[in-house]
Amino acid sequence: MTNATQPVLKPGLRLLAGPAGAVLVMAIIFVVATLAFFAINGREAVSLFQEMVMGAFGDSYSFSETLVKTAPILLTALAVALPARLGLISVGGEGQLYLGALFGTGAVLAAVDQPGWILMPLMLTGAMAGGALWGVIPGLLKTRLGVNETISTLLLNYVGILLVSFVVHGPWKNPNSLGWPATIEFPAGAILPQFFDTRVHMGLVFGIVAAVILHILVTRSRWGLGLQVSRSNPRVGATAGISYERNVLIVMAVGGLLAGLAGIAEASVIQNRLQDGLASGYGMTGFLVAWLAGQHFLRIIPLSVLMGGLLASADSLQLYAQLPKASADILQALLFIIVLAVASLWGRRRNT
Amino acid sequence: MEYFTTELLTLLFAALRSATPVLAVVLGEAMTQRSGVINLGVEGQMLLGAMTGFAVASVTGDPWLGVMAACFAGIALSMVHAILVLGCGANQIASGVAVLVLGSGLSAYYGTPFVGDKIDTLGNLNHTFVSDIPLLGQFLGPITPTVLLTLLAIPVISIFLFRTRTGLRWRSTGESQDITRNLGHNPMHYQLAAIAFGGLMSGFAGAALAVDYTANWVEGMTAGRGLVAVGLVIVARWNPWYALPAALLFGASEALNLKLQSWGVNISPYLLATLPYMIPLSVLMLSYRGLKASGGGMPAGLRVVFQNAR
Repeated sequence: MTNATQPVLKPGLRLLAGPAGAVLVMAIIFVVATLAFFAINGREAVSLFQEMVMGAFGDSYSFSETLVKTAPILLTALAVALPARLGLISVGGEGQLYLGALFGTGAVLAAVDQPGWILMPLMLTGAMAGGALWGVIPGLLKTRLGVNETISTLLLNYVGILLVSFVVHGPWKNPNSLGWPATIEFPAGAILPQFFDTRVHMGLVFGIVAAVILHILVTRSRWGLGLQVSRSNPRVGATAGISYERNVLIVMAVGGLLAGLAGIAEASVIQNRLQDGLASGYGMTGFLVAWLAGQHFLRIIPLSVLMGGLLASADSLQLYAQLPKASADILQALLFIIVLAVASLWGRRRNT
Repeated sequence: MEYFTTELLTLLFAALRSATPVLAVVLGEAMTQRSGVINLGVEGQMLLGAMTGFAVASVTGDPWLGVMAACFAGIALSMVHAILVLGCGANQIASGVAVLVLGSGLSAYYGTPFVGDKIDTLGNLNHTFVSDIPLLGQFLGPITPTVLLTLLAIPVISIFLFRTRTGLRWRSTGESQDITRNLGHNPMHYQLAAIAFGGLMSGFAGAALAVDYTANWVEGMTAGRGLVAVGLVIVARWNPWYALPAALLFGASEALNLKLQSWGVNISPYLLATLPYMIPLSVLMLSYRGLKASGGGMPAGLRVVFQNAR
């Protein structure tokens, strides 16, 4: 609908006015902010930035390390985005990841002598159960008692992390580890398949498949439509026979299940054992990615790769430029702040 | 019996000391939320405050300068939240998490050189007239200045909030921005002040932790205290007076954790360490029935934040 009073944009400008323009503006500001951050700390900004890009996407090894980081980010982002479809703000990816690792490891330890075709499904089932449990508890607290899910998931994160500390320092500690708090190494049958001699593992495949399935379910199925109705008005949903409570439990459990898979993949492939500091913040990164993607499941995939690249490049900068590991957190936060600011201003301008 | 009383009082005063940083955050965050803004970034502001306060105390040798610097660091970081939320209209939960990550990143990055430094502390009431008070002297003696300042903040804040015109407008902004606007005031001014005050209190809380309570800086040392405080604001029903018992809940669970270990209770310290998170969560569960019925005093403007997720 065009009328005379509306300004008619040239095609090129119209593109700039769309989301692509917003993304371009975000990217430019982020690059400038990153350069400024390096420069403020007295570093060779431009060369460090080049090093960063190379460290993430420069060669096949760097890219494989990027994909290694992508897997848990992708899965924990889905664990945030699915509840968000019902208007729930879950910040519990981190705790769910730890519980997945905890239960999955429990299954491995219980069936350690079994062949891989028994051990592997047991391990994955355990991980999914653990994650789902840590998702469904805040769901139950919300539906039964009305406890705010943002607060309960935040608190449960710390409990989940401490539970893992408890088992690796206590009952599950490997007696032969010379005091190092960790479980025994996972047997070969409990190590997720990896691809092309890299550390890239099945967790990435789980994440991509889950993202696609969730996208189809939410956009095409009756259930997805139900979520939308429930979200905008639980009462209307209820009259149409859609139980808001049941859906809360489902989305929280499924989200937790996915984060749980991320946890066991980290323990099995990356650490080869369960130990402290398993996830070092993947849960929060997943939260940021889910919001960057506007809770859109398919957009989460490329954004997770980008964020994985940021973390991988921070690792390589730590090695080559002795940049503290915390720089990854700072750049992550800068990126998120810029995207939030630009997207919100862009949306506001379009609405007025 | 006397042994029992002594142990109980020791526990109570230990609880008060470890509750102080959390109490400061609860007070600040309660004020922020009263204006209709929630800030999860207090955890990051607390970390930045702890690091800045410790670093300044270490470099200048003056712990009080450290406390002041920590307050400014808290305010500065909270302004990121203010710009995103008030200036850009970004979602408050998302913005809070961004500030949280930024604060923990900045404090870890710039705090590394100060790990293991020794600093002068703010001192305590030992060797003053207080420690000569019969019976109670031994418990009051270890009380430090940040504890007293935080306790003093309770009546000051509640008088401001409930007995002044500005406090009334502050509260009405949290209920409905339209009311404030119709009275001819800009609601954003109150929200900006509220976010800054939350920043000040969380920065101060960081200093209370790093400069006063532990006299030490360790990466990530707040261990979720800021986030626990956001939960405790609900338990305290956005009332400065209830903030004290709510924060003591955290302090008591932490003090109990240490006490049980010293009594030789044979439970893993890692399981005991879940108490400071489980107990507030349990109270939240128990108090929610009552909260639901009365609305719990949640500012109406805040409810909108949770309903408009994303």
